[in-house]
Amino acid sequence: MITPFPSSHPHNPWLAHSVRIQRVTQETPGVATYDMAFDDASVAESFQFLPGQFNMIYLPGVGEVAISISGDPGQRGVVPHTIREAGNVTKTLARLPLNSSIALRGPFGSSWPVESCVGKDVVIVAGGIGLAPLRPAILHLLKHRSELDELTLIVGARDSSLLLYPERYDDWRAKGMNVLVTVDRADESWHGCIGMVTAVLDRLWLRDASKTVVMTCGPEVMMWYTVQTAIRRGIPSAQCFLSLERNMNCAIGLCGHCQFGPEFLCKDGPVFCFDRVASRMKVEDL
Amino acid sequence: MSHHTSIQPADVSVAGLLRTDDLQQLIDALIAAGYDVIGPKIDQCAIVYDQITSVNQLPRGWTDLQEPGRYRLQQSDDSKYFGFAVGPHSWKKYLFPPQSIVSTATRTENGWQFSTDAPPAPRLAFLGVRACELAAIEIQDRVFLHGPWVDPIYKSRRDAVLIVAVNCTSAASTCFCSSTNTGPRCRSGFDLALTEIAGGFVIETGSESGRAIAARLPLESVTEHHHAEASSARAQAEAMMTRKLRTDDLHDLLLGNLKHPHWDDVATRCLSCTNCTMVCPTCFCSTVTDVSDLTNDHVQRERKWDSCFNIDFSYMNGSPVRNSIASRYRQWLTHKLASWQDQFGTLGCVGCGRCITWCPPGIDLTEEVVKLRDAVHANSEDPS
Amino acid sequence: MTLEQPNFLKLLCATRFAEGLPNKHLQCLCRGARLVRLSAGQTLFREGETEPDVFVLTSGHVRLSMNVPGRGAVDFLSAGPGDLVGWSGLISDGRMTATATARTDSVLIALSGQCLKEACEHDPQLGFVLMKRIAQVLSQRLLSTRLQLLDLFAEGTSA
Repeated sequence: MITPFPSSHPHNPWLAHSVRIQRVTQETPGVATYDMAFDDASVAESFQFLPGQFNMIYLPGVGEVAISISGDPGQRGVVPHTIREAGNVTKTLARLPLNSSIALRGPFGSSWPVESCVGKDVVIVAGGIGLAPLRPAILHLLKHRSELDELTLIVGARDSSLLLYPERYDDWRAKGMNVLVTVDRADESWHGCIGMVTAVLDRLWLRDASKTVVMTCGPEVMMWYTVQTAIRRGIPSAQCFLSLERNMNCAIGLCGHCQFGPEFLCKDGPVFCFDRVASRMKVEDL
Repeated sequence: MSHHTSIQPADVSVAGLLRTDDLQQLIDALIAAGYDVIGPKIDQCAIVYDQITSVNQLPRGWTDLQEPGRYRLQQSDDSKYFGFAVGPHSWKKYLFPPQSIVSTATRTENGWQFSTDAPPAPRLAFLGVRACELAAIEIQDRVFLHGPWVDPIYKSRRDAVLIVAVNCTSAASTCFCSSTNTGPRCRSGFDLALTEIAGGFVIETGSESGRAIAARLPLESVTEHHHAEASSARAQAEAMMTRKLRTDDLHDLLLGNLKHPHWDDVATRCLSCTNCTMVCPTCFCSTVTDVSDLTNDHVQRERKWDSCFNIDFSYMNGSPVRNSIASRYRQWLTHKLASWQDQFGTLGCVGCGRCITWCPPGIDLTEEVVKLRDAVHANSEDPS
Repeated sequence: MTLEQPNFLKLLCATRFAEGLPNKHLQCLCRGARLVRLSAGQTLFREGETEPDVFVLTSGHVRLSMNVPGRGAVDFLSAGPGDLVGWSGLISDGRMTATATARTDSVLIALSGQCLKEACEHDPQLGFVLMKRIAQVLSQRLLSTRLQLLDLFAEGTSA
């Protein structure tokens, strides 16, 4: 049985844990995975997270940024985050040397419904860096592979040089996951599929649509049409999950920034069942 | 005392009558009990909340004339201490300060060290908290204390506060607390409550702390006549209240019409100035930013009030999500009156009318709701 | 390329293209059908040429490309099992708007465009059902193309 992980609540939600940048793995241009190790051994021991949860990465003097955890939920001590250089915090982070002292608060937010996948088929649809927040769910499901039926990952990227974690796909395949890769734009070196993830999902063989769970993360438009495609294929919308994104500042539901209708993305999300947010996803400027 | 569960009306009892001339003794008793007293006083042509030590600082004999986009003080015919409604301030500024430090970071040889130690919260006695404001405090309690995460700053300040409520005996034209069922009568959530009548104050107690303060006052027994006078003074506030807000359909009306053209209509008048959110006693949006010294070795994380009307409030991936004024006004109103109910089980509005008074173009949320409702109904009844 | 006559109805029924199409109409579609096997690298049809057949892919992977002077063949879409390719033959004059090349060994059912057109003229109900199905396929391909055009991953989500 897959058991959910307990979430660790620090006593004061504003108190950051100091961490070191233990290792940096360059993934794609402008995107790297930072393995962060806690300074405090007791924090390292007790820090646990659920797949899909995020941390607030903190660079004192620069600021905080919400980043999904992209590591193995079962692994202790080191917490990997795959981060794209975008704003002040992430650009500064990219220039820090190894072993730099920074901090994080977390984990925060909701998680992918990995516990409810037992006995079901699972289709994971990731676009661009959206694979990062799904990676903990993938690693968890692969660890519990025997408890699932079909397990498929559809990965989309702009081009093959921007695919995230490509060197891991064969390992994931070997562990029993059907990994399908597609790109928007192909160069001569690319021999795989071209087109959107929706087209791949469209022709995916489904053992039993009614018993299939879909988890998707990527640009909001991609997620919307992924779920639309899933629904057209007969997958119940209540079994489709996505991870939304808004400006997050406090991560604890107190600052108001990340509201999406009645939802605070930081504490009610970022992972939602499609049914819960569907009516608002196509309201402009919400 | 703990305020985290609202004080039950069952705890409320009449303690006695405090003569008008003895009001100073209440302030003195609060100070003697270790509280700094915060009360209404006149500053920059408005009645605001600030520290007071003397009844002479209270705006005795003054009242406020309020209309959409307009606030004026004027001398009243009587010499009441509390013969006005609410001004631009609310008690929020003491419980959820406009600016506070949530944490600090210090660079050491062993890397950054973090602290959330804060100075002890000031022991404050709020003097003159109106029913709508009691309701606002109760609502912010739900936000900051009763969610999955507790805000430590709010909690420490809230725990250190004693509340002396005052029943309104008049209402401004902008008041509508009877519509939101949050007043004008103070029913719970206070330690002491005053009703001002000719010659004195009928004092009720709502907690042990309140009874302890009352025990130090030279109270006289309350006669039938005093009771009748207090009742009629409170009834007068109710009778003066003309503004109404129908609340039963708000949730579905607002959330069911997110794409209604009326939002664009409001946007032609709204300046997106954030005044409504700054004066609102329940608005809780904030932003935390880093402030460091010149060496960058000492960093403070500063939390400041923010507003959903600020364009970068929703900034994400290089652009704001709510780029238009229409979308920002919609966010504010739908949050306040509709999605707040989903989030906290209550309206986010207590009917105090501040957002109406302090809106430069005088946008009145009660009117905007009516206009939207009428437009929606007119459209649904349109035979074409 | 063409082999002996297999059971086309069975083959076609197994594809996503046939989902929801009544059996009697599928039988009509199979009249004049042929099986096409392509080895990886083989070209099915070329942009600008006339192709009388419409193809349903039963296995493998076919890439569509257009020729851009100076850039050569630009691949823009993959077709996989169940996908329809070469539909110009049914809708317009049969002049192909892309070149189709097998990336892997592929098997396709070739349906005669001429036979299909005649069957549709003869049986408007079949015509409607078939055109509706083709419209669905094309609308999904149009959506997919739009999503590609939006270049969604250019900014991407900062997860």
